[in-house]
Amino acid sequence: MLKIKNLISGYGSVQILNGANMKVDNQSIVALLGGNGTGKSTILKACSGIIRTWKGSINFNGEDIQNLPPHNIVEKGLVQVTQGKDVFPAMTVLENLRLGGFTLKSKQTLNDNIEKVFNYFPRLNERKSQLAATLSGGELQMLCIGRGLMSNPKMIMLDEPSAALAPQIVLDIFKNINKIRKDGLTVLVVEQNVRMALLLADYGYVIKDGVINVEGESKKLMYDESVKDSYLGGGGTTANV
Amino acid sequence: MFKGFKLTRKLENTLMLVFTLIFLGYISMSPDMNLESLKGVLIIGITVGIIYGLVAVGISLIYTGLDVVNFSHGEFFMLGAFTGLTVYNFLIDGELIYAIFPDAYGWVGYVIGLFFAFVVMGLFGVLIERVFLRPLTKKGGGYTVAGMGIIICGFGLSVVLLNLAYIIWNPTAHPFHADLGLPINIGGVTLPMTYLWMLVTGFTVAGALYFFLNKTKMGLGVRAVAHSKVISNLVGINVPLYISIIFGIACALAGLAGTLVGPTYQVVVYMGYIILLKAFASAVVGGFGSLPGAIVGGFTVGLFETSCAFFISGSHKDAYAFLLMIVVLLIKPTGFFGVQVKMKA
Repeated sequence: MLKIKNLISGYGSVQILNGANMKVDNQSIVALLGGNGTGKSTILKACSGIIRTWKGSINFNGEDIQNLPPHNIVEKGLVQVTQGKDVFPAMTVLENLRLGGFTLKSKQTLNDNIEKVFNYFPRLNERKSQLAATLSGGELQMLCIGRGLMSNPKMIMLDEPSAALAPQIVLDIFKNINKIRKDGLTVLVVEQNVRMALLLADYGYVIKDGVINVEGESKKLMYDESVKDSYLGGGGTTANV
Repeated sequence: MFKGFKLTRKLENTLMLVFTLIFLGYISMSPDMNLESLKGVLIIGITVGIIYGLVAVGISLIYTGLDVVNFSHGEFFMLGAFTGLTVYNFLIDGELIYAIFPDAYGWVGYVIGLFFAFVVMGLFGVLIERVFLRPLTKKGGGYTVAGMGIIICGFGLSVVLLNLAYIIWNPTAHPFHADLGLPINIGGVTLPMTYLWMLVTGFTVAGALYFFLNKTKMGLGVRAVAHSKVISNLVGINVPLYISIIFGIACALAGLAGTLVGPTYQVVVYMGYIILLKAFASAVVGGFGSLPGAIVGGFTVGLFETSCAFFISGSHKDAYAFLLMIVVLLIKPTGFFGVQVKMKA
């Protein structure tokens, strides 16, 4: 579904990715792990076209999508759900969801998709006419994921869906991500919460200093000592995983 | 004010109320004060206010869309007035309109002039944005803004457009004799028809803008781009296109306001400069970046300015808008509507 080859990119003149290689299979959940500042989010941003790809290729569904305008990438069915609570706070939940389906042509599909999102997250249905600013952290994350699902994507990329949330809510959200995959979507999850991410995913990549350091089936990675090493950068004391 | 001293919301509002009461008390002691003049001041103030509001909405729109203050906005107002005037003269003085509608009145030509000012300035704004401002935003990838460069570019554009108008229409003041009919009498106040046109058109356009922003898909996109370009990109909005749309709408509103004001004064090359500053003051008073705030700020500045000019001293008319701006900035720095909706941590 998504193939990243020798991806080199960064911000301004600062190079972050030094030739990353990744592959995400159809209808799988793949976890992309790594510490702070290793380039996890940068890979996602390059995929969704927010930052330029300097070198290398990103192939989605057989088409090269590197350096396409972001809205074209969304139309092709690759949607990024940003880190944290990036919603439109001064708009209602319903308006936020409508914006998620901005690329849809028909109103019928839009309403169907809103229903679909409410099926995943019934909580949003209760709050649909509230301003997004009044939602709790967990609800905001649900809204972000729901908004990503609105445009009928083939694959979604989630940037740290568990950040700053209570464990119970994280579990709930991860259950929903699994449900989303069962309904036919491909999911790429960027996470700092290594154990949770590996429990959810089929396959995992660990990134360090802008290159993929370790990769493998998530069951194997869970007991792999080198994951701990690359995650901690060799200098840490206790792994908080 | 003082270090570590911050006015609470309640105190801010109380101080604003106190200021308003002192001001109202002061003007009520004026010897010119009577019901008749009060009515006149109210109507004129609201009329002037809606014009300031329309221009201020444009400034606020561009501020939210491109994150900069467009300092050439006054020139779009001036060029709009000239466009309206030229179209009107072409149709009426050239008697072209009578060839098509033998029984036509002056207002038909005026409406066509307004329409042209709106459309031509809108398209011209898009052209300016695409040709001059877009290359500056390219640096940030086409949807973020290279801050200071655009501000300087705005000043430069202002000078260039001013001189362009200077070459085309020369620096003399052009009278705009819009033949709109005899003045009418509203509640004992005799009002020239041009003021009625300003009121009706201004409110209609403001209402249409509200409808556009809140009820249409494109309006939803405009509001999204105004809040965050990155999230807008990720939901599949063509952000560069929407920035052009925002710029076009803002310039179209300024052009329309220019043609509305034209018949009350004269059309002159320098008219854009003072309206820019006053609309800027209106936007600040209403809360910078807020669209309802810009309209309310326009009314506030219009009413304040008109009542001061009438009851206190007419010779300092242009200073009052900025006096109000300074007072509001001191007491309530966010303006009336400038409170951004805050996120929970």
